[in-house]
Amino acid sequence: MRVSRRRFLGASSAAAASGAALLTSTPMAYAVPPAILSPRQGGPPTPPAIEMIALNRMGFGPRPGDLERVQALGFENYVQEQLSPIDSQDTLLNQRLASAKLRIEYGPWESRISEDLPFSYLDAPLETLWPLANYQIEPEGAKRNRPLDEVIAATWLRAVYSTWQLRELLVDFWHNHFNVYAYTNQAVTTTWPLYDKIMRRNCLGNFRDLLREVAKSIAMQYYLNNASNTSGAPNENYARELFELHTLGSLHYFNTLYGDWEKVPGASEGKPIGYVDDDVYEASRALTGWTIEDGSRHGGITLPNTGRFRFNEPAHDRFQKRVLATNFDNDQKAEDDGERVLKLVSEHPGTAKYLCLKLCRRLVADNPPEALVNRAVAVWTASLNAPDQIKQVVETILRSDEFRANWGQKIKRPFELYVSFLRATGMEFPPNGLFNTDLAYGFSEAAGQRLFYWRPPTGHPDHSTYWLSTAITLRRWNGLNRLTQRDFWRLASGSQAPIPVRALTPSDKVTTRQIVDFWITRLLGREVAAEVREELMRFLARNRGFDVAPTGDAADLEERLNLMVALIGMTPDFQWR
Amino acid sequence: VDFSRRDFLIGCSAAIAAMGGGRIGHLAFASPTDSTERDILVFVFLRGGCDSLNLVAPTSDGDYINARPNLRVRPDGTNAGWAIGNALPGADFRWHRSAAGLRDLYDGGALAIVHACGLTNGTRSHFDAMDYIERGTPTSKTTASGWITRHLRSIGADGGISTELPAVSASGSIPASMLGSSSAVGVSGVTSFNIQGSYRYGESQQAALRRFYSLGDTPMHDSGIATLDTIDRLNSTPPSPDIEFPAGTPGDLQNALRTIAQLIRMDVGLQVATVDYGGWDTHEQQENPFTARVDGLSRALYTFYNYIYAYHSRITIVVMSEFGRRLKANNTGGTDHGHGGVMLVIGGQVRGGKMYGSWPGLAKEQLDNDVDLAVTTDYRVVLAEILINRLGNPALGQVFPGMDASLYQPLNLVFTSFTSLQPDFTGGGRSLYLPVIAR
Repeated sequence: MRVSRRRFLGASSAAAASGAALLTSTPMAYAVPPAILSPRQGGPPTPPAIEMIALNRMGFGPRPGDLERVQALGFENYVQEQLSPIDSQDTLLNQRLASAKLRIEYGPWESRISEDLPFSYLDAPLETLWPLANYQIEPEGAKRNRPLDEVIAATWLRAVYSTWQLRELLVDFWHNHFNVYAYTNQAVTTTWPLYDKIMRRNCLGNFRDLLREVAKSIAMQYYLNNASNTSGAPNENYARELFELHTLGSLHYFNTLYGDWEKVPGASEGKPIGYVDDDVYEASRALTGWTIEDGSRHGGITLPNTGRFRFNEPAHDRFQKRVLATNFDNDQKAEDDGERVLKLVSEHPGTAKYLCLKLCRRLVADNPPEALVNRAVAVWTASLNAPDQIKQVVETILRSDEFRANWGQKIKRPFELYVSFLRATGMEFPPNGLFNTDLAYGFSEAAGQRLFYWRPPTGHPDHSTYWLSTAITLRRWNGLNRLTQRDFWRLASGSQAPIPVRALTPSDKVTTRQIVDFWITRLLGREVAAEVREELMRFLARNRGFDVAPTGDAADLEERLNLMVALIGMTPDFQWR
Repeated sequence: VDFSRRDFLIGCSAAIAAMGGGRIGHLAFASPTDSTERDILVFVFLRGGCDSLNLVAPTSDGDYINARPNLRVRPDGTNAGWAIGNALPGADFRWHRSAAGLRDLYDGGALAIVHACGLTNGTRSHFDAMDYIERGTPTSKTTASGWITRHLRSIGADGGISTELPAVSASGSIPASMLGSSSAVGVSGVTSFNIQGSYRYGESQQAALRRFYSLGDTPMHDSGIATLDTIDRLNSTPPSPDIEFPAGTPGDLQNALRTIAQLIRMDVGLQVATVDYGGWDTHEQQENPFTARVDGLSRALYTFYNYIYAYHSRITIVVMSEFGRRLKANNTGGTDHGHGGVMLVIGGQVRGGKMYGSWPGLAKEQLDNDVDLAVTTDYRVVLAEILINRLGNPALGQVFPGMDASLYQPLNLVFTSFTSLQPDFTGGGRSLYLPVIAR
């Protein structure tokens, strides 16, 4: 049945009016509070304590007890700890990973089989995963996609439960920096755990190592078509994004100098400060012959079918090349030319600038202070060959004065918003330890951020402006409502629905004021504007005073409690990071 | 209880305005922009670089035939294209075989083609090209506002707390062309745009949110208020009947055009709507996906245009992509990034059934960088002509900074409803502070 807007409005107003106590002047008194509206206050919000900033910027927000732990440890020690994650100490997460189940459904529709199985592919080697991508070996699509589904579910679990929050944040950063659409083809989907491992292994390591592993990965080779980049049929897709997105960035693209590489400043000394299309073309030639052994015809030979990376010499353009004003002699091996390109771009000052800008943007502010970026660049440049180059740069950023400032200039993306809500409330996720596909990516997709599902090579935008459109704002709010709904948890768990919010409210919190204050503290760890607090209390109390228990039948009370907690998640305060 | 939602909104917003001091520029509902004379512009962006040489193909051109031994539209036989009457001289131009709906619009006089058209900046980067085009500044991709934003601003239709919806992105997220607009909203569906989760308390949640988000003035607060205003606006008018698309029309395109059709019929003060339609970056095995994309576009626009027949005299649809693709097909059955593209202009006041522009030819020396279709018509000139003649906005210098009389050589492809307007090339206007947006 469709309830008309007018009827719905009328009914709710009448209900509100009949309640009376606080609502006397007008039927719309609930919607227009009797208190005078405060003028809108200008400027950014008051920053919270440094420990709270750290928990929000170095990860996905606090879980209950985290704030106290970091306060006891001290900010500097927390940074130290987070920079050196130790897997064996990740007790809570390890338990969750071991016990979690992920549903898989397969078979013909009339006799569908549904099984709840633990993770089995997260650490699987190529030799296990590669044949699984072959539909002749594994005809069930759900089983071929299972490795990706496991990584998605595990990524949620890690974000919610890992002690090593900074690592999870950086893994997410690198996944977006080296974005690959996980459904590029079946091989990419099925071998996704291997691509995820590259980010995990190198997220605090050396950038050149990371770049090299990505360049040779199954995922990137197919996503940007380098696997089919041969001297007979060159394809510039990977080479272009290598320059534009992975290393120097478009801020160092001199497209006005098309065909005039010598005119790029610095070119005459062999150190051009940026790149032109010629560099892209020549780099793509240098990368010809880099491919994946997938049994296809390539450069005149038939490749073996192993899934391994391969330098296929016959497909390599053997003639001389010039990349970034550096001459490559003819007849170098396929391996050497490509490696040389990666070394050139990874050590380029433009790359230092672009990557440090992006790291500062992720960790501090959408438009980070230039002085901070420059200090990070100095560390990046001094540690080009250090195995912990990225760690040194990140540490510089985290220990800067700028890290403590600039609050209120960056909002959580949808994934961060939902994870931080799950963490802050302390809700059991997934309910009963069981992921279905809806839990793994359904509600986050609705808000525009489904993991590993971003088609363009840019990765999810890191600039808040993108996430502030009205459509996304509404979906962000609705996602929080959904996370507190009984139906959602029932659907998700497929059995007896837990009622997370009510169960998590201590039994000694009885009055509306006590309940609301408890949840404000739990989610925000700080006070909110008096108007916000009052509005939350009004929402829960309805027609009653704030210092008595809210009343209503059990279902009604539960609904109001759930929605009130969701509302705290929708406050401006909860959006900042 | 007898009150209208609209009265309440006005009261509420006025209260906020009174408390908010000078922050609110104007209240659109108090002095509505006179938008009834202006066309509604629907701006469809084909993201990824649409292969203009296979959408509107010079089938008889020898260089085209040589460069694309397999991947081309032919005058007859397999992959024969639809003949285009009143075409540019220089080749036997034909629509791709899956563009039957576009052909019908063209033959019916509602659609004009502008070929060899696009961005004068030579970038081959998708993202840069889109930034340049959508910001309307071919020399800067970091301009703080989009061209649609500056259009709205120069006609006084941007800013202020308003329940009008002058600028809508029907694909959800706000494109760079609407960057910096405080009125632009992303709407992914008229009826779905609401607080979901509780019948009983949805209204109360909205009221609480309105209070939360009126307590500050950051862009996030503004976005929250705009979201609530949009919810109110869209839910205060009953939705119109659904538009039925033929089978095979892509879902995202259906949703976007359905939303726009409903907004038009709901009379919500719509002035500009944008639609994104991606999937054109066909580096490999282009034929099948390209055919499907063109087919989807063609069916969708044909159906949409016919559905809104009552508004034909007041609607202009523009279709463009960030660039065309390389003349020479690559060896993996695809095409790499190119340059010159094609623009389609559809509407009741379009001098349709005709091809516009100037065909540069495809011989090596006629190509851009020796490899790509050259741009002989700056896309801004096409948009500028629509701005002044259909949207009643002569402020071309503000919308497209740097545009001058020498650059503005209109093709005369639309009739004008504003005979007294003269182009104004003075630029400037107050520039809104906005951080440079990283893509």
